[in-house]
Amino acid sequence: MPRVRTLIVGIPLVLAAVTAVALWVVLRASADKKNEMFIGSIAEPATLNPIQAADSASSSVLGVIFNGLLKYDADLHVAGDLAERWTLSQRSTFFFATPENAMQAAANMETSLLDREKLHLRQYRVENNRLVLELSLPGTADSLALAKLFGAAQPQPVATLSIVAPKELGDVLSEFSSLTPSARIVRTWAIGNLGEIVFLGDSKVVQQHLQEFLTEKFGAEGLVVESVAAPTFLAEPEVTFHLREGVQWHDGTPFTARDVKFTYDAIMDDRVASPRKSDYELVLSVETPDDHTVRVVYRRPFSPALESWMMSILPAHLLAHTPPDQWPLTFNRAPVGTGPFKFSEWKTNQFVRVVRNEDYFRGRPHLDGIVFRVLPDPLTLRLAFETRQVDFWTADPWAVGSFKMDPRFSVFTSPSNSYNYIGWNLRRPMFQDLRVRQALAHAVNVEQMIRYVLYGYGTQSTGIFTPDMWFFNPHVRPLPFNPEKARELLDEAGWNLGPDGIRVKNGERFAFTLITNNGNAVRSDIATLVQADLKAVGIEVKVEMYEWAVFLKNFITKGEFDAMVLGWALGQGFDQFQIWHSSQTGPEQLNTVGYKNAKVDRLLEAVREEFDRKKIISLCGELQQRIYDDQPYLFLFVPEGTSVMWKDAFRVRRPGPDGQWIDEPVTMTKAGWSYYLEWFYRPEYAKGAAQP
Amino acid sequence: MIINTPEPLALVPASPAGRAWRRFRDNKIGMVALGVVLLLALIGVVFFTLNHLGIPFPADPDATNLERKLLAPNAVNWLGTDNLGRDVLSRLLNGAHISLTVGFIAVFVSLFIGVTVGAVAGYFGKWVDNIIMRIVDAIMCFPTFFLILTAVALLGPSIINIVVVIGLVSWTGTARLVRAEFLTLRETSYVQATRALGQQAPRIIFRHILPNAAAPILVTAVLGVPDAILAEAGLSFLGFGVQPPQATWGNIIADGKTYILDAWWLILFPGLAILIAALSFYLAGDALRQAVETRSARQ
Amino acid sequence: MTSFIIRRLLISVLLLFIISVISFFIITLTPGSPYPWGELNPKVSPEVKRVFREKFHLDRPLTEQYTLIMRDLFSGRLRSIKDERPVLEKIGERLPATLVLNLGALALSLSFGLMLGVYGARHAGRLPDVVTSVLAFTFIALPGFWISYLMAIVLVNWAAVPILGTHTIGVDFTNGLEVFLDGWWHIMLPASILAIGGIAVQSRFIRASMIDTLREDYIRTARAKGLDENAVFYRHALRNSIRPLLTGVGMLLPTLISGSVIIESIFAYPGMGRLGYEAVLERDYPTLVALNFVTAALVLGGNLLADLLYAVVDPRVRLE
Repeated sequence: MPRVRTLIVGIPLVLAAVTAVALWVVLRASADKKNEMFIGSIAEPATLNPIQAADSASSSVLGVIFNGLLKYDADLHVAGDLAERWTLSQRSTFFFATPENAMQAAANMETSLLDREKLHLRQYRVENNRLVLELSLPGTADSLALAKLFGAAQPQPVATLSIVAPKELGDVLSEFSSLTPSARIVRTWAIGNLGEIVFLGDSKVVQQHLQEFLTEKFGAEGLVVESVAAPTFLAEPEVTFHLREGVQWHDGTPFTARDVKFTYDAIMDDRVASPRKSDYELVLSVETPDDHTVRVVYRRPFSPALESWMMSILPAHLLAHTPPDQWPLTFNRAPVGTGPFKFSEWKTNQFVRVVRNEDYFRGRPHLDGIVFRVLPDPLTLRLAFETRQVDFWTADPWAVGSFKMDPRFSVFTSPSNSYNYIGWNLRRPMFQDLRVRQALAHAVNVEQMIRYVLYGYGTQSTGIFTPDMWFFNPHVRPLPFNPEKARELLDEAGWNLGPDGIRVKNGERFAFTLITNNGNAVRSDIATLVQADLKAVGIEVKVEMYEWAVFLKNFITKGEFDAMVLGWALGQGFDQFQIWHSSQTGPEQLNTVGYKNAKVDRLLEAVREEFDRKKIISLCGELQQRIYDDQPYLFLFVPEGTSVMWKDAFRVRRPGPDGQWIDEPVTMTKAGWSYYLEWFYRPEYAKGAAQP
Repeated sequence: MIINTPEPLALVPASPAGRAWRRFRDNKIGMVALGVVLLLALIGVVFFTLNHLGIPFPADPDATNLERKLLAPNAVNWLGTDNLGRDVLSRLLNGAHISLTVGFIAVFVSLFIGVTVGAVAGYFGKWVDNIIMRIVDAIMCFPTFFLILTAVALLGPSIINIVVVIGLVSWTGTARLVRAEFLTLRETSYVQATRALGQQAPRIIFRHILPNAAAPILVTAVLGVPDAILAEAGLSFLGFGVQPPQATWGNIIADGKTYILDAWWLILFPGLAILIAALSFYLAGDALRQAVETRSARQ
Repeated sequence: MTSFIIRRLLISVLLLFIISVISFFIITLTPGSPYPWGELNPKVSPEVKRVFREKFHLDRPLTEQYTLIMRDLFSGRLRSIKDERPVLEKIGERLPATLVLNLGALALSLSFGLMLGVYGARHAGRLPDVVTSVLAFTFIALPGFWISYLMAIVLVNWAAVPILGTHTIGVDFTNGLEVFLDGWWHIMLPASILAIGGIAVQSRFIRASMIDTLREDYIRTARAKGLDENAVFYRHALRNSIRPLLTGVGMLLPTLISGSVIIESIFAYPGMGRLGYEAVLERDYPTLVALNFVTAALVLGGNLLADLLYAVVDPRVRLE
């Protein structure tokens, strides 16, 4: 029966033939490229709402769609973006027993004040029993220096209590203050279930009083009333942003101060559950005196606050009238921003495409658009780069060498803002001896690690900051690799070699488990190398690896581990309160190794209140040195990141400082190769690019 | 149904096993495959012993030597070295017993559950069968791989857990097969006779029915080993497999996959090892199947 | 017939309930937290975590969480924790892609499997049969990710073909045919790797089934009547051997729907497998529960349908 036979052979042949034709079509078509840029990423963006996103895939897309009030310029200095300029100031209020005292203090200050400029004092006035200082720089140091001049009339100390309630707090808190003598309450603040009360007098009494009052209202569960270590006067820093005029949203609506206010309100809205909320918790108020001015007042000095205004601004006219639970269905999948590129389409798990914003306030970008492709497998991502389906690749360290040798590629290497470390759990007795931790540091060959795990693309870490940060302390010397010294220190600490070559102290063997997460080649290599290095000085290390979520949940956030290999990816900020302060050692908090040092605590608190660049540098320098001396981590290395680009793919034509156009190859800036992304153009489409 | 024996009865050896062996012996491919399987088992045992006696051969599989990392196959490291300078050949040879153990134990677990469940369902039939088979259906509805992933995440990726989890999700096929065998066999006259003689259910199941169902179960078992080996490799590939530094064929590939364009030997050789092992098990199992069922007696 | 359907439906509902309970508890008992921004983000304060837990009911007891998830699932309001989109919408996006891919794989494995199996059976016991047998087992024994990588490297490095995703991005095709062929190419590549094992299994199955059939009495009768060997083989034997193949296809339903994590990752294909895998890694409980539920429902429904169809096709089968 020939018909059946034909089918049996025919169907497979037809399938194969159609596939062959399809291959031919695809091969022929992929030759010509459009004027677009292709960027590959392992992960898909979670959401395109900047206040809800926290993943790097989302932020790279959001970066071209949205703008913040501020941004980092090419040298990582804070610069204006939607804000044309901004000013910092502070109002410090001192409270006295009587108006006469206040007058007296002001008079004393006036007579002994030598240098207003140096103490940043703009003006002062007496209001009833208060002396109000207007300063041109926020912080506590200047105010305290001025307070020293008050003479005999000393101000009354101000105390601050912070409240976390199980429910909406506003009304209850005003009820409380109405029941309390009004002279004592300086200020109350509440947003959602968070609140703060600032008052004159003994904090213990008021705290107990408040605690009882709130327990009656809410019950004890979920209620926290804590005394806050705040200045003993009322310090209210203020940032005033003067917004750029003539900026339009992608739909043509003008951008105004209302959008900024709305963005702040949205972040604080519990229905949004924004991961950025903590950045703004010290904001007292956001005011919009006119369409192009935003004034932000803080409850106390908090210098990291300024950089939080690099946060992308949301369009109020599109979102203010929809409840936040609708955003994931609409806005978060099709965002509207002010940036150089407009959102165009999002094919789930395939790509996000953005197209040029013709009306971008800095000028029309050269490229037609950018396609952010999702390529989940690292190998195929690299293959896609090598066949020019994506234009950039974040190179693995071992491959960098061969790309550098190849003249067809541009290779951009820069230190990352991250470092890898081994954290010793300081709750374990064996790691509590500083000599032991120093010995461990001397025993591990970090240089070899850099040479072989990172193929030389990294530098030895000397503590909690990385070399590219402006407050990095270059004078901290790393502990050198010196197994002899390590053995001496261990002997000294009472760990003597046992019969099986492993050190023993009081019958306990020096053996511990080093854990890390799986799927990270660098970390598993580190673990393997450390295991070998420590064996050489008589310490037995068992390596265990867990899936990331398990690793965190079962071990790290519980503080139940001996030692772990991890890394910190830091931003540009200097505030590491959450990682090192002794109050942050509880479960789910980030001081996972249980590090406690009173001096370090004070430095961490001080640097948060400091706005003076020089002083920040000196505080951070001391902080870095002290923590490095304590060796709570074995600080390993700061890896370098490497991006590879096809050399002929793009050039940059950007407006120069004097209005002329600069045409140059893609180069590395401190802010990365993609800093001038909106000015990239494909040479074959050079005609389409904007002309001077 | 009556089995048509191809040869005169007088020439056939007394036991069915002996008969099957004679037929197996005639299958050249099967014999070669069996030879490879035995060789792999031997490699597993020998290198496991050597390593535990502290005589690593040809090199210590866990010894890192960063000066000699990512070397292509050469005179010292016949199959090259990995990213930490460990000898790939040594890791392959020393990983053999893990991969094989994973295969065997997983199959044992799955057989144990599958046979028990299948036997109970098949022997008792009626509502017992109905309930059990619905549960089996339910389990078959689960996407197996997620079940493994979540279970490994839940229990942690130790060798034992992985083996048990692979075993736990792969018994449904065996259960169905055993149940079908039992449904047929319990109707045979001799089982009816033993039941009439008043024998207890466990005795009937284990003494009278199970031996008769042994052949297809054995075949499933042999064919299950490579399935488990491949499953472990897939898990390792996703980072959920047996954890380093312990070498298994799966995690040599998993560790090496990032280097694939720069160090092909890290992928090629362990992949070939898995392929050869799985293939020889399949071929041996197939030959076994042909040997035990001269012609398919049950439709 | 009606009572059979009703009973099967009732059993299916019960099964679905059991499955949903089991999957929910396995998933929630797995260590890890579903915070979309990672546990070690210094910016995220305990307060933010609390708000988040409340929003997704993660602060409630497990039994209550289960009831809430099921309630939301049935009312279509269930949202993913990762991006807060309705999970049914997320599944709806992936299911067609996975179905197309797996149907492609099924077509390949059936057609090539049939060809190889028939070829093997025709030459049973002789060299071509031995070769196809060994080949089939080699196919089964190939680790999928391994062969995918080798294939990807060869295709991309030597021929520079785009193989990732569902279509070539950044190229405007001039007509519908080209768009179709582009899609075809992007499906056929992962499909052929998925099909490798299937081809082997099907060919073994058909070969065995053919050889069995050829020994049946009616085939002897046909031969005895002096029918042409080809006619006997293709008309009588083949037809009767294909029927069991169709039941076998019913067994493949779960794989048709659930997709393959590894292949989808390597080929950047937006299927169900990756959706589930990412949900496991992110501890996206609602998505996982819904995914398991929908998959199970589709499989149970598919099985029921297959049984009914089988009864229609084969009058010997009675549904009790």
